[in-house]
Amino acid sequence: MRVTQMMLSQSSLRNLNQGYNRLAQIQDQLATGKKITRASQDPVVAMKGMRYRSQVTEVEQFKRNLSEAYNWMDTADAALDQATQVLQRMRELTTQAANDTNNAEDRANIAKEVKQLREHLESLGNTKNSNKYIFNGTDTTTAPIKNTNNMDLGVTALLNETTTDFSSIEVIYNGKTFQHVGTENGSHIFQDKSQTSPEYGSDAFASEATRLTISPSGAVTFQARNQDYNANDPTSQQQLTNSVSQRDVIVANANTVSINTQAVEVELLKGVTVPININAGDVFSTELFGDIIRLERALEDPKMKGTDLTSYIDNLFGHINTFVAERAELGARVNRVQMIENRLLEQEVNANRIMSENEDADLEKVIIDLMTQETVHRAALSSGARIIQPTLMDFLR
Amino acid sequence: MLSTFHALETARRAMMTQQYALHTTGHNIANANTEGYTRQRVNFTQTESYPSVGRNSPSVPGNLGTGVKAGSVQRIREEFLDVQYRNETNKVGYWQTRNQALTKMEDILNEPSEQGLSQQIDLFWTALQDLSADSEDAGARSVVRQRAVAVAETFNFLHDSLTMIQNDYQNEIEIKRLEINSLLSQLDLVNEQIRKTEPHGYVTNDLYDEQDRLLDQLSNLVNIQVQRVASVGNTNPAAEGAVTVTLIDDQGKPVQNEAGQPINLVDGTGASERAQFEIEFQPNAHFVTGFTVREGNGTGTNVLNTLPRGEMKALIEAYGYGTSPEDVTGVYPNMLKELNSMAEVFATEMNNIHSIGFTLADQNGVVHRGGDLFDLSGVGQGVGAAKAIKLDSNIQASLNNIAASSVNINSIVSGQRQVYQDLVNAPRDQQYFSNIVDFLTTSSNFTTGAPTAFAGDGTNAKRLADVKDTTLSFSNDSGTISTYYQGVIGDMAVSTQEAGRMMNSSLSLQDSVEYRRQSVSNVSLDEEMTMMIQYQHAYNAAARNITMVDEMLDRIINGMGVVGR
Repeated sequence: MRVTQMMLSQSSLRNLNQGYNRLAQIQDQLATGKKITRASQDPVVAMKGMRYRSQVTEVEQFKRNLSEAYNWMDTADAALDQATQVLQRMRELTTQAANDTNNAEDRANIAKEVKQLREHLESLGNTKNSNKYIFNGTDTTTAPIKNTNNMDLGVTALLNETTTDFSSIEVIYNGKTFQHVGTENGSHIFQDKSQTSPEYGSDAFASEATRLTISPSGAVTFQARNQDYNANDPTSQQQLTNSVSQRDVIVANANTVSINTQAVEVELLKGVTVPININAGDVFSTELFGDIIRLERALEDPKMKGTDLTSYIDNLFGHINTFVAERAELGARVNRVQMIENRLLEQEVNANRIMSENEDADLEKVIIDLMTQETVHRAALSSGARIIQPTLMDFLR
Repeated sequence: MLSTFHALETARRAMMTQQYALHTTGHNIANANTEGYTRQRVNFTQTESYPSVGRNSPSVPGNLGTGVKAGSVQRIREEFLDVQYRNETNKVGYWQTRNQALTKMEDILNEPSEQGLSQQIDLFWTALQDLSADSEDAGARSVVRQRAVAVAETFNFLHDSLTMIQNDYQNEIEIKRLEINSLLSQLDLVNEQIRKTEPHGYVTNDLYDEQDRLLDQLSNLVNIQVQRVASVGNTNPAAEGAVTVTLIDDQGKPVQNEAGQPINLVDGTGASERAQFEIEFQPNAHFVTGFTVREGNGTGTNVLNTLPRGEMKALIEAYGYGTSPEDVTGVYPNMLKELNSMAEVFATEMNNIHSIGFTLADQNGVVHRGGDLFDLSGVGQGVGAAKAIKLDSNIQASLNNIAASSVNINSIVSGQRQVYQDLVNAPRDQQYFSNIVDFLTTSSNFTTGAPTAFAGDGTNAKRLADVKDTTLSFSNDSGTISTYYQGVIGDMAVSTQEAGRMMNSSLSLQDSVEYRRQSVSNVSLDEEMTMMIQYQHAYNAAARNITMVDEMLDRIINGMGVVGR
């Protein structure tokens, strides 16, 4: 085959060009650390790359959501912890007051401290986390405990002629909230809120409903089913009836403590949402504040005997238990979130590894490629230089 | 009887002919780097010997040679390699241009990267997730707004950039059409010159080279077949003739006109004038509606559907062609269609979900049902969603108008709550969203006559975020927005890769054919130098021959009859 100068120079130019192309590709790989810089170099890597990148973004986002969840739960836990301590302090104070060596003045002072502690509880109920009320469900922009004056309207508010909307009024007595169910001869009948049957007006209502009756004169009667009732014993009463002092019932506006029960949910894994708030109505309840006000009043009452305070202590125990139970439930949820976090961290490692395996260049290999290509390229350059230079003319003289 | 000066004439002829060869060598050397030049050789032939054959020829011994003459100057070329070369050039033209079109598209879409559409969609999703966890926060809301703008702008950018390049192709098609027409005119001109000169016995080597150069260029643009037509008259055996160029399709068969005849682009017999290409564009939408060859006799044939392969076909395919805006196909129109479909389906789904959510409370403490999130009002009349999509002006006006919350379930009258839940949990058919909207706009369903919603409720934001994983139905297929886009990119990447591979393989085939062609036709300087030396020596020797004859004549003329003097 004839080979001419032009053919030689063209082919060495072509070879040099190809060498540069390969060098450029290696340079791209080294500079970016990626196997490919354009989708067509490897469509499969490109498509997978898009999917894996998306996965990594997702995992990172779920980690962000996770810290939001921790934020809420940690703040709630701290607030509940403090609230429990406040209640324990109240219990101690009450126990101290239940000692008959205290005179009325001592008890009044204790009442003052209890009042301060109650106000502290109120502020705990209004705890904010990054500008959000965390104890008010999804209604995070309004404080759950709004107008504390509405906590104690006084029995007279019921007897006031102008009061017509009884549905917005609740009565608190001994750890229970009562709602208005009807009026008889001017007396207002209130039924335990947690009790839905028997309904007012049914035959069993008189004998089975836990209820309060407030007569127009302001006299308060508490009636409840007798737990020891024995149908065969004619002496046993089916119904217990107590007369209650007016100061021992609290008439409050039902909206004093917000009752938003909707869960605030955050997605922590694909398709896994976890509620991050606790239900404020369960802990910072109208009962809680009502009972504390009842306690304050009792302490302020000079006629109070030490033994009479025992029921208030029991009452406080009940509320402490509610807080402890709620904290336990929150703790369990934190545990669950921690497990999710572990899974998420594992996923993060996996997602990043898969992404890296898919699209990252193998540096050792690329550098060896570079060395090889460099050698080839140098050889092409020098062979070109040697072959093109001399011609027959150099030797024809 | 031989002439006394016979030998002088023989030597003179030798010197003339060697000189002729030396001139040709010089011409070869001069054109060593001329593109498309074919080396030329002088065919030496002996002149008629003495005595010539005939009745009256003298009876002398032997057959005395009378010297040499230059028979013809011939190109050294193998026509078979030309056919192969043009075949490959044709493929190179097609695949190179197609590869270029796809590569430009790939550059614009720029996947996978931190800047592409898929990344924007991912970022939008993260913003919505943040909003769902922190729905009353103005910061989270403004991030959502900015990311929504970014998604819309990415669609706009992709659409505009692709359209811009597509429009460039219109100019390029026009330029290439003119180039084809000019090549055809030039070929016709060369044919005419050849037809005029060859009958006189001339061999027009430089015209043949020009012819081959033009044919090489033409084959890059459209697929052609070439036939030589011998001239009539007193032609030299080395004469190659004019060419007839026929348009052929992908199967290698001639493209036929309406009369069923092959379309001659250039006629070597000079029967009719050259053909010219015409092109029709749809003035408003961007696509080619017709690509017509008008033959010399005036017959026009639309070859858009049997478009012969070559650069022209790749250009028209990149730009898009069809008969109506609905059936336009092409590299760029197809991608634009995909983007439009994606933008429209995605924005519509987002808007639907946004419309069942609720905004933050306004100054009067009233929450409103969400309006549109994306504004698609500009869509229609040839304007696709990818170009028209933008953020809705209400969202632009106030961050509060982002509907991140669901309806407050407690504000629904208790008997209807289950109805609402059932509506929300129903399978998402066409009616789905309007059913919910109907429910939300019926005041009797709500205790206070109108739905309420809480600021801290981010469930609708979560629903918006979930669109990323919702199977939607697009123009060609269904899938989530991400997987569908991955498919689109994958298709494009595979086409680009194929075009690149085909380009490289046809390029290397073209190279190897070109190598073989050059091996035959290219000027080798060493060879020319060697031959120059050879001719030079022959020339010198002939000159010496004259000196010898001169000395002989000197003996005859000056040395004879001077006996003893």
